[in-house]
Formats: sequence, C-alpha cells, structure tokens
Amino acid sequence: MTVGQTPTTKPPQPADIEALLTPLLDAAYGTALHLTREPADAEDLVQEAVLLAVRGFKSFEPGTNFKAWFFRIMVNAFYSKYRKQKRQGTQVELEDAPELYLYNQTDAIGLHSRVEDPASSLMNKLDTESVSAAIAALPEEYRMVATLYFMQDLSYQEIATMLEIPVGTVRSRLHRARRLLQQALWKVAEDRGIVRALADAAREPA
Amino acid sequence: MERSLSCEEVLLRLDDYLDRELSADEMALVAAHLADCAVCASEQRFEAGVLASIKDKLRRVRMSDTMRAQILARLRHPDSP
Repeated sequence: MTVGQTPTTKPPQPADIEALLTPLLDAAYGTALHLTREPADAEDLVQEAVLLAVRGFKSFEPGTNFKAWFFRIMVNAFYSKYRKQKRQGTQVELEDAPELYLYNQTDAIGLHSRVEDPASSLMNKLDTESVSAAIAALPEEYRMVATLYFMQDLSYQEIATMLEIPVGTVRSRLHRARRLLQQALWKVAEDRGIVRALADAAREPA
Repeated sequence: MERSLSCEEVLLRLDDYLDRELSADEMALVAAHLADCAVCASEQRFEAGVLASIKDKLRRVRMSDTMRAQILARLRHPDSP
C-alpha cells in the first residue's frame, strides 16, 4: 500500500515507534512466552506483533497508551494464530481454589512462628521455571489475564480493554488465577522437597 | 460514627486492595482495619510478598540479543523480507 498522507494529518513517524517499542521488548517476549508456552512460538508472535504494529502505526493516536495499543495487537495476533489449535485444552475441570492457600499451608507447617517473612522463605526457594510452569498450567482464559497482570503493571481496566472483556471478568479470572497459582506452587514445593525442608527447619530448636 | 470493616469483609477486598483497585474510601477502610488487626495484616503482607515474588521472577525473562537485533532491523526496514 502506498502512503498517501494528507497535508492536514501528521502521522507518527517510524522513528517514533522504535522509541516507543524498544523499552517494551523484554515484556513483550516474556508475555508471548507465557501465552504460547514455546520459545520459538513466542519469537514468532513478537515478530508478527511488531510487524502488525509497524504497519498499523498510522492508526495509533500519539499521546494515548502505546503499551496498551501494542499488547492488544499482540493478544489479537495470539488469538488468531494459536488459539484454534489449543482450544481443546481450555475446558479444564477446576478444583476448588480456597483463599490464602499458601498462607494457611505455610502456617500449618509452623513457618509463621519461626520466620519474620514466611512468604519470602517459601518463594525464595521456587525458581523462575517453577513459577512459569505454574502459569503455563493455567487454563487459557486464566493464563491470559494472569500473564498480562504479572508481566506488566496494568490496571484491571487496561487488561479488560486489551482483551475486550468486562472489567468484572478480569477481576474474577485474575483472583481465581492467583488462587490456582498458589495451589500449583505449593504442589511444586511439595514435589521438590521444599515443604519438607521448611517444615524440618521450623521444628528445629531456635 | 465512621464505618469499619470486619475481617471477613477485608478478606473479600484483599486482592483488590493489593492491586489498588478499590475506591479511595474502601482503600482507607481496609488500611484502617489492617492497622488494627495483626492477623489480617499478616495475611496482607504474605499475599503481597507472594505477588511481588511471582512478578519479580516472571519479569526476569529477557529477549535474546539476536532477536532484539532482528526486531530493531524490522522496525527500521519494515518492508524487507
């Protein structure tokens, strides 16, 4: 398509998008990785989103939220490219997800009476891969909201706008995703012997 | 007399409080309860710690230099193959 600029409009210039996009690249890749769950797919998704953003940059209104604009493009690219093939995975039977799961579990093994910061005592023993795997295991609609939330500092409204869903849906999915994540992280901690080590340490004399 | 929240009411609002998604009035009500209730305050600190740790770990992911170079090239020359 040729560029037919009218003299009355001053479209954003290519140099502008480079300045706007460069600081978002790590977050874009991290977000894409959690959405697609495959490094090669994540690279493709970011490349495609960048290309779409460059081609559509004329429609970006300077002064509005570029981050929200770009990630909306990436989310839409994800849906159109990957969702069909992975759709069968979304109807997962969700176990009951209670509030304060990790708080209550770490309290039950005696951690709260022994350490100043029980959350850090547990979380410091879980690596990035474990946390990523817990996110990856979420059903897609929860994974989408949780990924946007955890990877970037977005409000519920910004996430709602990106996903074109009501803000109340973002809220309920996000809150539930957090509880599911806590259960998944505790399972990882149990499987890796972290829970037993923490419990043993909590039983030792001070 | 000013309204105050019970522990149950605070727990219901805890996620929104942590994300600063409550109205200013509700934020203040939850904060007032947390200042007075050691149990809810300890729950709030724990939840905030877990959230901060998850964010910190997930945000350590970095794009490779090769990919960054490819994207910057694409930004400068969007119509090249």
